[in-house]
Amino acid sequence: MKSTRRWTMAAIALATGAGFAGEPLAQTKIDFFFPVPVEGKLAREMTRLVRVYNDSQKEVEVTAVYTGGYDDTKLKAQAAAKAGKPPAVVLMSANFNVDLKLSGDIMSLEPFLKAGGATREKFLGDFWPALHANATVDGELYGVPFHNSTPLLYYNVDHFKQAGLDPARPPQTWAELADAAKKLTKRDGDKIERYGFQMPGGYDYLGWLMSALSMSNGGRYFNQDFGGEVYYDSPSMLGAVRFVDDLIHKHKVMPPGVVEAGGVSTAFFAGNASMVLLSTGSLSFIRENMKAPYNVGFVPRNVRNAVPIGGASLVMFKGQSEASQQAGWKFITWLSSTETLGGWSRFTGYFAPRRSSYDTAEMKEFIARNPDAKVALDQLPFAQPWFSTYQTVAVRKALEDEVQAVMNGKKKPDAAVKDAQKKADELLRPFNDQTSLKLP
Amino acid sequence: MTMASLQHADPAAGAPTRGATVRPAFVRRGWWLPYALLAPSIVFLVLFTYLPIVRVAVDALREVPHAGGPSRFVGLANFSAVLGDPAFIKAATNNLIYAVGTVVPTILLALLFALAVRRSNAFTAVLRVVLFFPSLVPLVAAASLFFFIFLPHLGLLDHYLRMVGLRGPNWLGDSDVALWSIMGITVWKNAGYYMLFYIAGLQNVPRDTIEAAMIDGANGLQRLWYVLLPALAPTTAFVVVIALVNVLTSVDHVVVLTRGGPTNATNLVLYYIFQEAHENFNYGKAAAATLMSVAVLLAISLGSVRAMERGGRGVA
Repeated sequence: MKSTRRWTMAAIALATGAGFAGEPLAQTKIDFFFPVPVEGKLAREMTRLVRVYNDSQKEVEVTAVYTGGYDDTKLKAQAAAKAGKPPAVVLMSANFNVDLKLSGDIMSLEPFLKAGGATREKFLGDFWPALHANATVDGELYGVPFHNSTPLLYYNVDHFKQAGLDPARPPQTWAELADAAKKLTKRDGDKIERYGFQMPGGYDYLGWLMSALSMSNGGRYFNQDFGGEVYYDSPSMLGAVRFVDDLIHKHKVMPPGVVEAGGVSTAFFAGNASMVLLSTGSLSFIRENMKAPYNVGFVPRNVRNAVPIGGASLVMFKGQSEASQQAGWKFITWLSSTETLGGWSRFTGYFAPRRSSYDTAEMKEFIARNPDAKVALDQLPFAQPWFSTYQTVAVRKALEDEVQAVMNGKKKPDAAVKDAQKKADELLRPFNDQTSLKLP
Repeated sequence: MTMASLQHADPAAGAPTRGATVRPAFVRRGWWLPYALLAPSIVFLVLFTYLPIVRVAVDALREVPHAGGPSRFVGLANFSAVLGDPAFIKAATNNLIYAVGTVVPTILLALLFALAVRRSNAFTAVLRVVLFFPSLVPLVAAASLFFFIFLPHLGLLDHYLRMVGLRGPNWLGDSDVALWSIMGITVWKNAGYYMLFYIAGLQNVPRDTIEAAMIDGANGLQRLWYVLLPALAPTTAFVVVIALVNVLTSVDHVVVLTRGGPTNATNLVLYYIFQEAHENFNYGKAAAATLMSVAVLLAISLGSVRAMERGGRGVA
C-alpha cells in the first residue's frame, strides 16, 4: 500500500516535472549526428560548438550525438530513420549523398533556398567550385559542405637533408617521387630500416588515394554525372596500380601488405617513413604530434595535377516535422557560416569550404603562421569531385580488395583492375538496369 | 525452466493431500503467477529475439530493392546467391580455420592453466588473476590495444622480437598472416576464461579416485590421461560449445583492426553478414547467410549437449 502511493507520487512528480521543463521555452529540439574521422579532440570541439549555438538563441535546442566514423554515421542515421526517428541534421561523408538520395533517406534543400529567396547558384557561389558536384544530386542541393580535405604529401625535412634532397622542393612527379623514395629508403642488407614512402592501405582510405593516383594519371575514376559507372579497367587506373606495385615490389621503398592510416602516421612520427600520403584533415594532428621538422607538398602527378575532394557535408533526413525541418535549416545556416567554418578549419586542419572564410583577419593570420595550410589551399584549384556512385562503399571495396591483393604480392595489376571492374559492374548492374540499360 | 518447476511444485504440494478437489490446485491458487513473473522477459524475448527470427526467415526468401519499392518473393535465390559468392566462401573458410585454430589451442591452454593453478595458495591466487585478466578487457578495447602491439616495425611485438634478433611480418596487413594474428587475440582473450571452468571441473574430481590411481602406481601423465581427462569430459564439452558459439558470434576485433581485409583475408561470416546488410544493402542475402549460420550454431549446440550428456553418464 505504502509503496504504491510512493510510486504514484513519483509518477506525478515525473510527469509534472517533464511538463515544466518542456513548456515555457517552446523550443524545437533536434538531433545532430556527427562523425569524427580523425581524432577525439574534434568530438569535444563539435560538442562545444553546439553548446555555443544553443546558448546563442532560444528557438532551437540541438542535441549533438557522436556517431563514430563516416561509415558508422551513415549506418546509424539510416537505422534511426528506419526506426522512425530520423535525425534532423547529419554531418555526412560527402560521397554518400547520391546513395542516400537514391535510397530516399535525405531531403532536397532547395525549398529552404527558395524560402530564403536564394538560388542554388548564388548559394554555392561562395563555396569552392570543386565542392559543387558532391553538394548536389541530379541538379538539386542535398548537402552543405562543412569541412573538406584532399590528399597531401607530408615529408620529413631531416631525412630529405640527409639524403641530399632539397627540403624546399618536394617531388612533383611520380618519377621524382620514386627517385626521392629510393634515396630516402635506408637498407641494412636485405632488411629495410626506413621506408622512403608509405600510404594507408585500409578500406576507405585506399579507395580515396587510388582515386588520387588515377586522377593525377589523367583519369577520372568515376562518372561525375552518372552514378552507374566507374573506370577501374582503364589505363589511368592500371598505371596507378602498377606504380603502387612497383614502389612495393620493384623499388622496395614502401612496405608490402596493408598498413592502416594510424600505422602510417605513427611511422611518420617515429621517423620510420620519410614521405607519407595522408589527408589534409590530418594537418593539425601531424602539426601537434610530429617532433621532427616536416613539410608538405602536392600529390605528385604523372599526367596532370589532380586530387579528389574528401570530407563531409550537412544533410537533412526526411520524415521530420515542419518545425524540426525549419530548426534543422537554421542550425545548418549557423554551422556553415563564414565564421564557424573558418574557426573549425583552423581547429582541425580541414580547409573551409567557403572562400569568404579565407578573407577574415583570423584566417589570414593563421595561414601566415602555418605555411603547410597554405600548400593544402594552393592544391585546391586542382581538386576533383569525390567518387560517389550507386552502392559507393561496395563499389569502392571492389577496387580496394584487388589493390590490397597487389600490395600483398598476390596478384598482378593487370588482372587486378580487370577483376575490380567486373565486380564493380556487377554491383552497379541493378542501377543500370533501371537507368542506362532501360530502353523504350 | 522456472515455469515448469513452479507448475510442478504447486500440485505436488497441495493437491494430493486434499484429495477431492475439482480443479487442480495451481489453477485455483494464482495459476497466473508464473506467467506474470515471466511476462517481462517474455515480452523482451518476443520483441527482440523471436520476432526478428521470423522476420529474418521471411527476408531470406525475398528481395528488397536498395532504391526503395516493394520487396518480392524470390524463393531460395538468396541462398544460392550467398553460396555462389566468393566472399562468402572465403569468409566461411576463414571461419572454419578460425574455429579450429582458436578453439583447440584455447582449450589446451585453459586446461594447462587450470592444472597449474589448481591448488590454492598465495602464488596461484595471483597467477589466476593474471591469467584471467584478459577476459575482463572488452574485446573492442583489447583490439584497439593490439593495433599498437601489431604495428609493423614499431609495435610492441616487433620491439621484443627485435631484442632477440627477429623480424616480425606485417601482422595485420599481410594476407597470409592477418587471420593468424586475429586468432592470436582470441586465444589470448579466452584461455583465462575457460580456465575457470576447468578449475571448477578439477575441484569436482573425487579425491579418492585420484588417490586410488596413485596407489595403483599411475604417474602424473597417466593420472591426467586416465582419470582427470575423462572426469573433465562434461567440462570440455561445455567449453567447446561456448568456444564455438563465440567463434561465430564475436567479430569485434575484426571490425576494429582489419574490417575483414586485406582482400577479405580476415573476413568472418558474421562480418560478411554485416557487410551484406549495411554496406551492400542486400538484406535478403544477409538474412539467408544469417539463417545458415544460425543453423550451424544450433547444430553445434545440439551436438555438444548430446556429447555433454553422454560424457556426464560416462563419469557417473
